[in-house]
Amino acid sequence: MPPSIHPVDLIIALRDKHLTPAIVFLTSRRACDEAMQAFDHSHILLPPPRQAAIAAVLEKVIAQYPSIAEHPLIPTVQRIGVAAHHAGHLPSWKIAVEELMRHGCLDAVFATTTLAAGVDFPARTVIITQSSIRKSRDFMDLTIGEVQQIAGRAGRRGKDLVGFAIVTPSPYIDLNVLTKGFTGHPEAINSQFVISYPMVLNLLKAHPLDQIQPILAKSFAQFQLNQRAEVLQRKLDDLGDQMEPFGPRVCTDWITEWQTFDQVRRQKSHRAPIRRHEPPEVAARFHFLTPGRVVGFARGRGVVLRQYRSKGQKSPMITALREGGGITESPASTVTEVSDRILDCVDAPVYPWCTPESVEELLHHLEELPGRLPELPILIPKDNEPIPDAIVQTLGDFACPTCPSRSACQTDYPLASKLRQEQHRHVKSIQALRTSLWHRFQEKIDVLQQFGYLTPTAHLTEDGEWARLIRIDHSLLITELLRADAFNGADPAALAAVMSSIAHDDDRPGAFPRVSSGLASLLGQVRKLAVSLSPHEDPPLLRADIAAVTERWIGDPTLTWIGLCKSTTMAEGDIYRLLARTLEFLSQLHTLKATHPGLADTASRAIAALRRGVLEELP
Amino acid sequence: MTTEELEQLLAQQPIALLHRLARGRVQRHFRAGKRRLIEVLLRHSAENRAGFESDLMTLIGEKPVHPAPPPPQVPTARKPKSTAPQRRSTHRPVEPESHEPGVTLSSWLEGLGVPPPKTFVPDAWQEDAIAKLREGDVVVSVPTGSGKTYVAIEAARRAISENRTVIYTSPLKALSNTKYTEFSKIFGADQVGILTGDRRDNGQAPLLIMTTEILRNLLYDAGGGEIDIRLDTLGLVILDESQYIADPERGVVWEETIIFCPSQARMLLLSASIGNPHDIAEWITSIRPTPCHLVRHSTRTVPLRAGYLHPNGKLTPLFRTVGIPHGHPSHLHPEAKRLFAQYEDETLPSGRRR
Repeated sequence: MPPSIHPVDLIIALRDKHLTPAIVFLTSRRACDEAMQAFDHSHILLPPPRQAAIAAVLEKVIAQYPSIAEHPLIPTVQRIGVAAHHAGHLPSWKIAVEELMRHGCLDAVFATTTLAAGVDFPARTVIITQSSIRKSRDFMDLTIGEVQQIAGRAGRRGKDLVGFAIVTPSPYIDLNVLTKGFTGHPEAINSQFVISYPMVLNLLKAHPLDQIQPILAKSFAQFQLNQRAEVLQRKLDDLGDQMEPFGPRVCTDWITEWQTFDQVRRQKSHRAPIRRHEPPEVAARFHFLTPGRVVGFARGRGVVLRQYRSKGQKSPMITALREGGGITESPASTVTEVSDRILDCVDAPVYPWCTPESVEELLHHLEELPGRLPELPILIPKDNEPIPDAIVQTLGDFACPTCPSRSACQTDYPLASKLRQEQHRHVKSIQALRTSLWHRFQEKIDVLQQFGYLTPTAHLTEDGEWARLIRIDHSLLITELLRADAFNGADPAALAAVMSSIAHDDDRPGAFPRVSSGLASLLGQVRKLAVSLSPHEDPPLLRADIAAVTERWIGDPTLTWIGLCKSTTMAEGDIYRLLARTLEFLSQLHTLKATHPGLADTASRAIAALRRGVLEELP
Repeated sequence: MTTEELEQLLAQQPIALLHRLARGRVQRHFRAGKRRLIEVLLRHSAENRAGFESDLMTLIGEKPVHPAPPPPQVPTARKPKSTAPQRRSTHRPVEPESHEPGVTLSSWLEGLGVPPPKTFVPDAWQEDAIAKLREGDVVVSVPTGSGKTYVAIEAARRAISENRTVIYTSPLKALSNTKYTEFSKIFGADQVGILTGDRRDNGQAPLLIMTTEILRNLLYDAGGGEIDIRLDTLGLVILDESQYIADPERGVVWEETIIFCPSQARMLLLSASIGNPHDIAEWITSIRPTPCHLVRHSTRTVPLRAGYLHPNGKLTPLFRTVGIPHGHPSHLHPEAKRLFAQYEDETLPSGRRR
């Protein structure tokens, strides 16, 4: 059996049960495209009147958006009544599909889950084939909210009595995620407040520094932090109640007093080291008398087989294989010489403590050893004098041993100290929750002061005045580029190309047109600056191949959209989004007319060159 | 457990279980085949063997007994095991199994069809939201497809008739475009304008559509001293899809917009179902002059049913009940359960379970 249902069978099954129109959510764009290809040779054609209806709707959309007239999917859409709809398509194509759905012309749309959040068109049925979606380069389980958002597309108001959400398995589907999603309550949402450089500049433009903290306090982030702080505060109050019986006693801070006393007492009891009456050189040597070590005795040599301490005296002992084959037990002190030589020896758990073969071998080796062996240098420690312990001497300073509340302190101390530690922890976290936003804001102020956008009194400098108008991602990089005059004399194509490489944050690989040498060196400079700014702002991907796409589009006004698409493997929709985002970035540069007339002019020429063909169709 | 034993045990498990085990442990585990996955998991288990083994055991314990028994014909045949309290101590409470066989496919499909055309009557919550907007700001949290747009249109219509400017924001350009077309049809093309980063069509119209970022920028410019005439007459700001406030990258824009929205304008936040809409309403109440009302509604206008379609084309209900059993994710239809177990069995690349 195939791992998932074939798209043609799926459509047949849906038609059979009158469950069309349907939206089929698939994992990837590729899956959507492959599903469409599956219909190439199928014979589940629509009746001619419905085909004609589709053609009529398409004709109307094409009149408005001529870019989709030649779309390769049109034949399949017309014959079968299915379409694909994902981020790789042009917005105009997506509008066409939505329009067809709204007219009820299609039986199914194959879409990626991004659609669920984005465009709003319902159907009678949604088909769910996955339980996870790709988020920032890894697959994550769908949340309950997301499952309900997807399932929410099922059932058109006024056109359906009921909607259907149908799960069909594919590899790696987890049914639990989906059933939980259908039946559960959506998750609570949390603030994602980040403080950006433009935000700091714009706030400081409108408000003096001492009014900022109340403004930050108005954020949903602070609202939620306060909620958490309140929970902690309540816990803290509880702890305060529990601490009631542990108030001041004979001494006001009896907990700390007892804690120190207790510590000292414990340390005292610990200092009774086991005394072994062995000379320091024997003790030092003993560590080296390991199995296989060649040692010298008063008479002859031997190989250590094991070391142990005798039961009665605890004195160090060794078992050794002596020259001539005798195995003797002797105190470690009889060893006169420890050589720097270890013979191989296979341990055994019983006498003679190594395997018989290795006894043979050891004997053999022992006899073959040269007359003199290098001696192992062993550092013999001086008699370690007992360190005079200041704490021990102060033990007499404590009043505790004779204090009337001693027994009460002793019994209450563990609980009281735990409660007090918790109190301290809560106080600290509440403090952190109340002030964290403000601290983050101050960190940004420090950076902006360092770069000279803010004066030491947190007013906007001349640079800060225009820098606050750049309100996009990577704003610090862009404003620093402008201050470094990086675009001096750059043509519109190069400016737009750099902007698009800053704007583009997708690492989808592909084949792209070549980048011109001028642009390449400009990008090199940008990259150097971006890396130097990386402690303060995450550097963008700065893909040269992406920049080249934009450069071609602007540099060659005769290039058609089809021609541009053919020069790269990037999907049409991605190119569109790239250029649209570049437009956004350029229009931000355009707002700097007053301070950077040259740049604003280049930007507006780039915008004019960019906005043609497909990019002109939509506002 | 020795490594070999562990490896064998892993090999006996269905791939889905391995993937669940790999979640959070192994990156890109969904790319790996079973053999490779076991290899990676074993390598990973060196880090925290005890934790790994206990997770594995929990997962194995959780797994329904395979193959699932056919739907019980006699409902009283099984002993009531749900009364044993110690079984509840596991981290997922064991739900008392209900023993009625699931609904039949035909009754599940019943009612499918097109409702008779009738004049549109707004739901109670829609009227409530519009009425509440007279008194203050409103947060609407309703399931997808319930008709939030109706509220937006009626609220906008009223504000326009009072000669106030209305700003409607959406998170995506594509959505803005759709709404632009839709609203132009309703209000007339001269009444609706759209603002994007580099272009404005009919920018002085009473109803302006833009992305939330654009509105945020307008508000910043106003704060910086550049007076925009439209903000003076602003009567209503509609933030559609405002659950985007939780978006990791762009959520902050919604917060900024709400914080800096002029106090004379009413706010209407339209959101899909979220878990804590009261928090949003409470927050807005705490920072704005007028109280913010929450309009919440959890039943869908068009009821939803869940189904399971086997790769061989067999369709069954997913749950035992016709509708969605809210709060009971384990009330699966016996047939769906059996088919899915069979699917997991058959898609196993090797080492089928007995």
